[in-house]
Amino acid sequence: MLRSDQIMATVEMVHKENLDVRTVTMGINLLDCRTGTVKETCAAVEAKIAEYATNFVEKCEEVAQKYGIPVVNKRISVTPAALVGAGFSKDDFIDLAKSLDNAAANAGVDILGGFTAHVEKGITKTDMAFIESIPEALAVTKRLCASINVGSSQKGINMDAVAMMGRTVKELAEQTKESGGFGAAKFVVFCNQPGDNPFMAGAIHGVEEADVVLNVGVSGPGVIARSLEKTIKNKGRENLKIDDIAEEIKQITFRVTRCGELIGRQVSKELGIEFGVVDLSLAPTPKVGDSVGEILQILGVDDVGAPGSTAIVALLNDAVKKGGIFASKAVGGLSGAFIPVMEDAVLADAVGKGALTIEKLEAMTCVCSVGLDMVPIPGDVDADTISAIIADEMAIGMINNKTTAARLIPVPGKKAGEHVSFGGLFGESPIMEVINNGKSNRFIAWGGRIPAPIHSFKN
Amino acid sequence: MGNQDDKERAGMKKQLVISVMSKDRPGIIADITGVILDLGGDLADLNQSVLGGYFSMILIAEFDRKITAEDVIAGISHIESENKIECAIQEMDVALETEKKNLPSETFIVTAQAINRKGLVKVMGDFFYSRNINVLDLGTTRDNEQYTMIFQVDLSQIDSLQKIREELKSLGEKEQLDLVLQHNDIFQATHEVSGFVETVSR
Repeated sequence: MLRSDQIMATVEMVHKENLDVRTVTMGINLLDCRTGTVKETCAAVEAKIAEYATNFVEKCEEVAQKYGIPVVNKRISVTPAALVGAGFSKDDFIDLAKSLDNAAANAGVDILGGFTAHVEKGITKTDMAFIESIPEALAVTKRLCASINVGSSQKGINMDAVAMMGRTVKELAEQTKESGGFGAAKFVVFCNQPGDNPFMAGAIHGVEEADVVLNVGVSGPGVIARSLEKTIKNKGRENLKIDDIAEEIKQITFRVTRCGELIGRQVSKELGIEFGVVDLSLAPTPKVGDSVGEILQILGVDDVGAPGSTAIVALLNDAVKKGGIFASKAVGGLSGAFIPVMEDAVLADAVGKGALTIEKLEAMTCVCSVGLDMVPIPGDVDADTISAIIADEMAIGMINNKTTAARLIPVPGKKAGEHVSFGGLFGESPIMEVINNGKSNRFIAWGGRIPAPIHSFKN
Repeated sequence: MGNQDDKERAGMKKQLVISVMSKDRPGIIADITGVILDLGGDLADLNQSVLGGYFSMILIAEFDRKITAEDVIAGISHIESENKIECAIQEMDVALETEKKNLPSETFIVTAQAINRKGLVKVMGDFFYSRNINVLDLGTTRDNEQYTMIFQVDLSQIDSLQKIREELKSLGEKEQLDLVLQHNDIFQATHEVSGFVETVSR
């Protein structure tokens, strides 16, 4: 029998601190769906997703019910669509996008990721048609998420692709201007994109993966925040040092990860599908009490963005990885702390107060797990400036051998300080100011590639 | 021939269940197990706990046929002790299963908390009994006015987990009990470093 205080601690974690499994994502390989015509390929795609995902949501619910731990999101990721539709035209890719959207709807999942191309070294004719299709593909579908990998530590950064990304983001926002440019919230640009990340919008089923796998994303910033508050209250702030806090985060992450792995493995057993990885990320939601920003405040900055914020994110990111990696048999994906502005009420609040600027956010992304995520910017920021912001973020990932991403939303017709809201999980925030707009055009005009960095002499 | 030997050996042995209770002090385990050793006994299983300053232990030991319960009681009564050691002994009528048994796969934990009052454990005991639910383990603690009960139960005989959850919810409302039903695996996963691999691959 377990000790009663341990049992009550777990009961508290699940019921009072709202522990959940943030996402169970089924990755499906679609490479074998490419057949004769576009129509036939699309039909094969829908059929293959249906073959594996029909009972997916139901099984997740059953396991969640049995264990008393909610599985908040059930999602699907697929092989990068630019590979599935090799040889397709722009219009063909829009048809494929509609089929993927349909398949997601039929499976009962709210988001499907993998409308993706990897162009970190070169762009094929298909990639070009694919990238051109993105704005319309995301505007005419509901559940689809797109991503482009433009850089890697091994290959450098494809600046031709980066230049296209600024224009793509602008066009996406423009095509969805009635909803505040929401299309851009479903599109991420990556450096070192992982093939087993279960979190959206950047989830894909990498070509290195098995036919079908289940990846689990655990989250729980709320669990960590509540637990830290309790420890500080019980032990007294004056009796704690910052390494005690790091240790506490590690231990909570261990427990949260174990729950995620338990649920994920049970679902994969029920479905007869291989279990992939646990992604140990702190992914906030706009809900009060489910914020990464709040943890930064508990750790000692009055507003996110104040000096010290980067150091705290570094500690947090590392402690989450340490606790989770020991807890799980297989860790992957992004695994760390996310700082998506619109999805985190405390971050959004800091933007409103002028405490958090895009430059400080960029600094924090050097040590967080992803990058400039869900950042609303003024609609009049030009495409080259957006590309240059993306290039900066990609450079951080390339040099540091880590994943970085940029999900920038130029909100049509709105200026810095005005408010944008997408509702639900996508959240809301004041629009962040972009200083130095229009000053990077000559840099973006170069095109070509930033060469892959040297991997020694690391100072 | 080997079989015959086994039977004879088994026939020459008996297993006694020995329960002892006393006010706690250092040395009770040494005293009791000393008596058993002196009588040539071999310990098969033992469970011991201390509650409110009182020591309680139940153990199973194997003796030669000729050793009687009275011999053991006599041995224990000769222990020099400031506090009386209460003792009860029964001969086992079924063979002891020494093979380690895993918990049933539908083992759940029900935690129940309430402001302390009489009859709380009975409320829960009645709930489980009336639904043919076996309680595998039970521990309770009282912290000031808060009374906490932790039941480990086997739910493999029930029809619907959802129904039990709903019934627990209405019991909680009726009896002002804070009730939570959670699968045993969750606790193992969150608090045990090892053992988890077996849990998830079971």
